[in-house]
Amino acid sequence: MNLERQAMKNLITCAGLAFLIGCLSIPVTAAEVSLGDKNVCISCHGGQPGRLGEPVKLWRESIHAANNVACNECHGGDPNDAVNAMSPARGFLGVPKETAIPGVCGRCHVGVEKDYMHSAHGRALGKGGPTCVTCHGNHLVVKATLDIINEKRCTACHGYERARIIREAMQQTEGLIVSMGERIDSYKGEGVETDRLEKGLFSVRNSFHSLSHNLDAEMVKRESARINTELNSISDSLGKIDEQRKKRRLAGVVVVGGALLAALVFCLLRRSYD
Amino acid sequence: MLFLKRIYEWAEVRLGVRELVEKNLTGYLLPRNINFWYSMGSILLFIFVTQVITGILLLVYYLPEAEKAYTSIGAIMNAVPFGWLIRTCHVVGSNMMVLFVFLHMLSVLFMGSYKSPRELNWITGFVLFTLVQGLCLTGYLLPWSQLSFWATTVATNSVGAIPLIGEFLVEFLRGGKLVGAPTLGRFYTLHIAVFPLLIAIVVGAHLFFLERIGVSTPPFGQGDTRNRWQGDAFRYEGHPGGIPFFPNYLLQDMTSIAIYFALFAAVVFFSPNLFFTKDAFVQANPFQTPAHIKPEWYFLANYQTLKLFPNEFIGLSIQGAAMTFLALLPFIDRGKEKHPLKRPLFMVCAVGGILLYIGLSIWGHYS
Repeated sequence: MNLERQAMKNLITCAGLAFLIGCLSIPVTAAEVSLGDKNVCISCHGGQPGRLGEPVKLWRESIHAANNVACNECHGGDPNDAVNAMSPARGFLGVPKETAIPGVCGRCHVGVEKDYMHSAHGRALGKGGPTCVTCHGNHLVVKATLDIINEKRCTACHGYERARIIREAMQQTEGLIVSMGERIDSYKGEGVETDRLEKGLFSVRNSFHSLSHNLDAEMVKRESARINTELNSISDSLGKIDEQRKKRRLAGVVVVGGALLAALVFCLLRRSYD
Repeated sequence: MLFLKRIYEWAEVRLGVRELVEKNLTGYLLPRNINFWYSMGSILLFIFVTQVITGILLLVYYLPEAEKAYTSIGAIMNAVPFGWLIRTCHVVGSNMMVLFVFLHMLSVLFMGSYKSPRELNWITGFVLFTLVQGLCLTGYLLPWSQLSFWATTVATNSVGAIPLIGEFLVEFLRGGKLVGAPTLGRFYTLHIAVFPLLIAIVVGAHLFFLERIGVSTPPFGQGDTRNRWQGDAFRYEGHPGGIPFFPNYLLQDMTSIAIYFALFAAVVFFSPNLFFTKDAFVQANPFQTPAHIKPEWYFLANYQTLKLFPNEFIGLSIQGAAMTFLALLPFIDRGKEKHPLKRPLFMVCAVGGILLYIGLSIWGHYS
């Protein structure tokens, strides 16, 4: 009986302490915690139905959202002040006029704007020619690929023949760029320092994609060869990482094999003592 | 050999080494039916030592500042010679530590080794279990990645569900309203100084209790599987005619440690990113919430439990009650029987609990 009473006392004394330990040892909680968007454009428009809310939905899926390029970068205004967010005094532009679109995009994509303005497309600006958003879209802007050059889109204004030549000349290089991008992404997702390679590929991709804006088929062929050389250099760097990985796996075989061998030896020794 | 013998004799006349060896190694007898599950403690000690060593090596290059932490981890992984190996060992080791704490606890549960007079061993073991979780949680923030940042935001948020003092506790843990540089400073201190020190102290207490009470007899391979403790006076549970710790059981420990090391090395070399997601390699950005934040595998069941209840406090309370029940099990389960197959109620609860835990973890992973 004494023992049982003692056990009860222990139980009560420990209960409080253990409950506290128990609670503190459960540090995980409900999954999705939204801090709320700090950008007033998004917090206001994001909740609106139809035309006013739609751009936010589209933008969230865009490459701009992925790179923290928010509404004010194109439309101006003050994203930190709900009252004056759309004040012209704070640089609010609203929807840019058609002829102003290349200038808006060109604030960041400087080289592309220059190539575009010198091309047949740019020369037709304001006269029925396409602007940036005609091919790339406005709010749902995704990473540019050669798929943008397609018969359906091009034939909306002119024949596809010249565009087809440009696309075919770029096809192989584009494939290389895409596959290298995937390899770099994969290594990045494993903690490999890929900054230099990313910047290199970014630069190559930009100069390559700018070819599609000047619409000169011969130049595209010429430049593609030069770009391939730069891509080979990036490919060599990726090959070195592959090689390093192989060496690590080989070391792994030795270490794991050694540990298993040691386990076997210890086990046999133990049996000899038994 | 002569030189070694002379050193031994030198130490013998000063420290009584022969008696020490006789008492703690060759004369320290263990039950004849002891099994490999008794090696879990040794494996855990090995892991703890490995974690301390790799942790110290990481400290050489790690910079505990919000602006520099992520870059320093990148440098360790990519520029420091064998830095990738040291960090991967530390990360994999932390997960292995939790896994083997679970296995150790399960073996103690199923063999009834928590029963009297080993309540203090169980309690200290349980405290170690919570400390290891705390150690892992605080270490999680240190790389200052998106995963670290948001997992810590979510984890510290949960404390806010405690009535009255919740908000205060959240701010106390974070050192501010949001996770930031002060949180990193706090977690860093806890991770490299407070938790390791506490763990070392509690491990010492755990081993002291083991030394005083003696190793429990496994309930397998013998007729009477009941607990023989009388409860009227202190008695060391000796095992006359048992096997000596040295060399017999030490070799079993070494075998288990070598097998563990093979498993550990296999993960380190062949699947080093097993415990990482892509967000672990993106610098923390307080303004960009990742799409899916999932806790580490050992917190998935807790995570899913909290999601099942509409009120976070209810979820926390239920888990707190479950943890309390587990901590106080030796005081609740007073039965003499130790063999798991002769304890049907225990078996139903234990197997049900394990299946529930695994089920909730899988659910949490895919939810």
